[in-house]
Amino acid sequence: MVPLPSSAAVETSPSPSPLSVKKIVLPLAVILVVGFSLAPILWQVLTSVKTNADIAAVPNVYLPTRFTLEHYIEIFRRRPFLSYMLNSFMVATISTLLCLLIGTPAAYALARLKLPGEQAILAIVLIITLFPYILLFLGLLEIVRALGLANNYLALVIPYTAINVPLTILVMRSFFQQLPRDLEDSAKVDGYGTWQMLAQILVPLTVPALVTTGILTFISAWNEFLFALTFITRESLKTIPVAVAQISGTAAFEIPYGPLAAATVVGTLPLVALVLLFQRRIVQGLTAGAVKG
Amino acid sequence: MSSTLETRERRTGWLLLAPALILLALVYAYPIARSLWLSLFNQNLGTELQPVFTGLDNYVRMSGDGRFWQSILNTSVFTVASVLIELVIGMGIALVLNQSFPGRGAIRTIAILPWALPTALIGTTWAWIFNDQAGIVNDILLRLGLIETGINWLGNPLPALLSVIVADVWKTTPFISILLLAGLQSIPGDLYEAHAIDGASPWQSFRQITLPLLMPQILVATLFRFAQAFGIFDLIQVMTSGGPGGATETVSIYIYATVMRYLDFGYGAALVVVTFVVLVLVMAIAAFFLSKVRAATGDR
Amino acid sequence: MKGNLASRFGQRFFWPFSWRWLSRASAFQRRMLLALAVCLSIILFGAIAYSQQPITLTLLMPALDVQAGRSMADQFEASNPGIKLEIVEGPNASNLVEDLYTSSFLLGDTPYDLVLMDVVWLPKFAAAGWLLDITDRVPADQLTAFLPADLEGGRYQNRLYRLPMRSDSGLLYYRQDLLAKAGLQPPTTFDDLINISKTLQERGDVRWGYVWQGRQYEGLAAMFTEVLAGFGGFWVKPDTLEVGLDRPEAIQAVNFLRRTVQEGVSPPGVTTYQEEEARRLFQSGDVAFMRSWPYAYPLGSAEGSPIKGLFSFKPMVHAPGFDSAGCLGGWGLGIAKTSRYPDAALKVVQYFASPEGQRFTILENGYLPTRPSLYTDPLIVAKYSYFPQMQTVAEKAVLRPPVAQYAQVSDILQRYLSAALTDRTPVADAMRNAAQETRRLLDTNES
Repeated sequence: MVPLPSSAAVETSPSPSPLSVKKIVLPLAVILVVGFSLAPILWQVLTSVKTNADIAAVPNVYLPTRFTLEHYIEIFRRRPFLSYMLNSFMVATISTLLCLLIGTPAAYALARLKLPGEQAILAIVLIITLFPYILLFLGLLEIVRALGLANNYLALVIPYTAINVPLTILVMRSFFQQLPRDLEDSAKVDGYGTWQMLAQILVPLTVPALVTTGILTFISAWNEFLFALTFITRESLKTIPVAVAQISGTAAFEIPYGPLAAATVVGTLPLVALVLLFQRRIVQGLTAGAVKG
Repeated sequence: MSSTLETRERRTGWLLLAPALILLALVYAYPIARSLWLSLFNQNLGTELQPVFTGLDNYVRMSGDGRFWQSILNTSVFTVASVLIELVIGMGIALVLNQSFPGRGAIRTIAILPWALPTALIGTTWAWIFNDQAGIVNDILLRLGLIETGINWLGNPLPALLSVIVADVWKTTPFISILLLAGLQSIPGDLYEAHAIDGASPWQSFRQITLPLLMPQILVATLFRFAQAFGIFDLIQVMTSGGPGGATETVSIYIYATVMRYLDFGYGAALVVVTFVVLVLVMAIAAFFLSKVRAATGDR
Repeated sequence: MKGNLASRFGQRFFWPFSWRWLSRASAFQRRMLLALAVCLSIILFGAIAYSQQPITLTLLMPALDVQAGRSMADQFEASNPGIKLEIVEGPNASNLVEDLYTSSFLLGDTPYDLVLMDVVWLPKFAAAGWLLDITDRVPADQLTAFLPADLEGGRYQNRLYRLPMRSDSGLLYYRQDLLAKAGLQPPTTFDDLINISKTLQERGDVRWGYVWQGRQYEGLAAMFTEVLAGFGGFWVKPDTLEVGLDRPEAIQAVNFLRRTVQEGVSPPGVTTYQEEEARRLFQSGDVAFMRSWPYAYPLGSAEGSPIKGLFSFKPMVHAPGFDSAGCLGGWGLGIAKTSRYPDAALKVVQYFASPEGQRFTILENGYLPTRPSLYTDPLIVAKYSYFPQMQTVAEKAVLRPPVAQYAQVSDILQRYLSAALTDRTPVADAMRNAAQETRRLLDTNES
């Protein structure tokens, strides 16, 4: 069992190297890490506020003297960008809630109740998290066509919920396993039934874990591309990733880089905010989901 | 008494599991089973989209389909290259983030940022970075005097493959760093101290302590990344759409084109089935090694 | 508009979730009920308003053509007060427009009544059953006014699905001035083309003899169609689905293209060229011959072009004993089978293909007409004096194979042809593989 990284486990860092080396090398390494992670994003942000002349300039302009918001105005004016945002938000939120609603009870059952075939189910759930979506898309396409779900949020909500249920089960199961068993036993002694105990004792305790899984699900649903590209054909119902990708496709001859950069910045802002707020939970969730099982 | 309790618990358990299992069956099991069935039919524009049973014809056709083999090759090169590079860089980042320094929390946040951003949008960002006219990569290389004229990165086969690998490495390295960092934090510090007293260099401690103890995490990360990279779609669709001339066409891109552009459902289904089988085989091999390593390093 | 809004709400807020929310908080409940009432009344009034409104027909167009399309639509609406045309702006790249039409039809919730089609999509859309058969809706005497190849491009298995509104055809551009200086006539055969190129190159008049489109993309297939036809070969016979890619004529065609590079007539980079790379090089004055489309003519004749007034064009060259062939491009309008207003839609189709309709796009964008009469139309000739000459080119147009799986067939050819042209695969092997894969795809086991 692997302990989760948490604020409690701070001072485990080994320092085998001499202090002097560490003083020079470490800051350099940190700067490299920051540069690696941020440079492409910063370049895109910079592009989004440059004038068209500066964007096309060769050699590149790194420190523009003129700034403009025209690209941001353009994406909202020429395209239903607010609709895209709303669509992404609705689809991601609904599938996140559904996913927790469906995944958490399943996780509890797998963590606490003795069920025949439990190991097999867990193994299947784990393998499923590894399937690329392209394997599902042909079958889902048929379902969407047969049920007439094209251009309906449900065409995205159902697969998004499903593709995140395995992770939810894995993460929540590991949280349930960490909860002391006594808690439930004493609750049972006090005459709580399984359902009551679940609703009144366990769920409140697991709110932090729910938030962790919820964030991971939300991010994954916000970012999904393949299903959104295939199942939504009406402009007003498109989600952010598809809509932005199609801005780039809009002109094979002359790509509107300014508006594209602005759209990228706007489309990623909600996620940047999530990461800033919940960095620790994301890390916990990812490690629990991947390393457990 | 206890047996009724057990049956009740069981019933509750299945009830709790049922919605999840039904959903997974609908979205995972059905499509794959359906593809298996459909792959035995010819259902395309030639049959006016009506299914006609043809047995294994689609698989025979696949064996002589140069484009399919090309896409398998592209996918393999892409997967192996990006996962290997990510492991190296991800390990480096994890080692850095495992040190204690002021502002470590903020740096960790920054380091996982690429992972959280939408791949499709990141694709447009990298396409801009590798742009042949005003892209920053060409600009930097020109300024450094490494090239004399701009490279048409996305317009030539090898540079295009390199570009999508770079973009993927950037996007998914944080995932590996996070997993490896969790592993690093579980290695007790006194192991290193004892080793250092024995006169071992940092490199030796890395080789002899860190790597072996980190092996489970490395394998898990590799397994996850392998599966994800093998199914890569959005990044490549946005950056190159598989071009130029199919040089970056992965299996996913080919399947998508076969179904959505050619409307060749039967053949698309056969492609899905073969991809599925390949993936399961590789996963089984990886899982085998994983269990061996786990057995070797104790209960982890 | 109101009807649209209502249906958008209907799609976005599907029922299960709004009901679940309703049962939670009562204040919220009241607000939701109010919203529901508002929605309902919008739908109701929208429906009433909708029924009184004129018919609205929706159409997706590449962004570049929207402006000309809009002026045509305005003209049409002025003379047909009961019908409104809503033009949706699509991407510029035509394959992306095709993908958008395809997925909206495939998923079964298409907003489009009219389908603007490139000639090579038609068999696919028709075979998939997405198009309305207009064979019996258009009087036969209306059809005789079109160029035969353009009209044929609207047929699939002898049924008519599209009326052509603009044409396009591959042709050969040449430098009049250089030929005159050297005392030579424009080439008519493939060998002429290579020999004259060499002569001009040796005289130091030009750096390169001939540029064409060699990159692996649809333009390569289009160009190859012409060379293949010029050698008397064929790609796929639409009626028997016979594949001719491994026949001697096809090998000769590939060898001709390879010769242009091997003998230094074409730049080595030509195997990565699309239309624009070739045109820029030709327009710079460094090349004697270019295979391209009519669009290059006004650009080369523009103010500031180094070759302004120095070049002309003619039908493509061919082997002795065969005829010239230009690959047919061009667009036309069909009707979606799902359209609720096929009669109104047919009026639009007929208008867009009519002389008045075509004149609009021709005068605005310089496209070729699909009616012989328009090539000598005084209004058009006043603006484009070279159009009468274009007619000779347009009459030589040949179709790419009108088979339902054309996109796949073309991709197979592009792959192997590109491999042969860039020396990655021997010609005979490449063409045999291409032919075999095509046969397997089309399920024809002859030879």
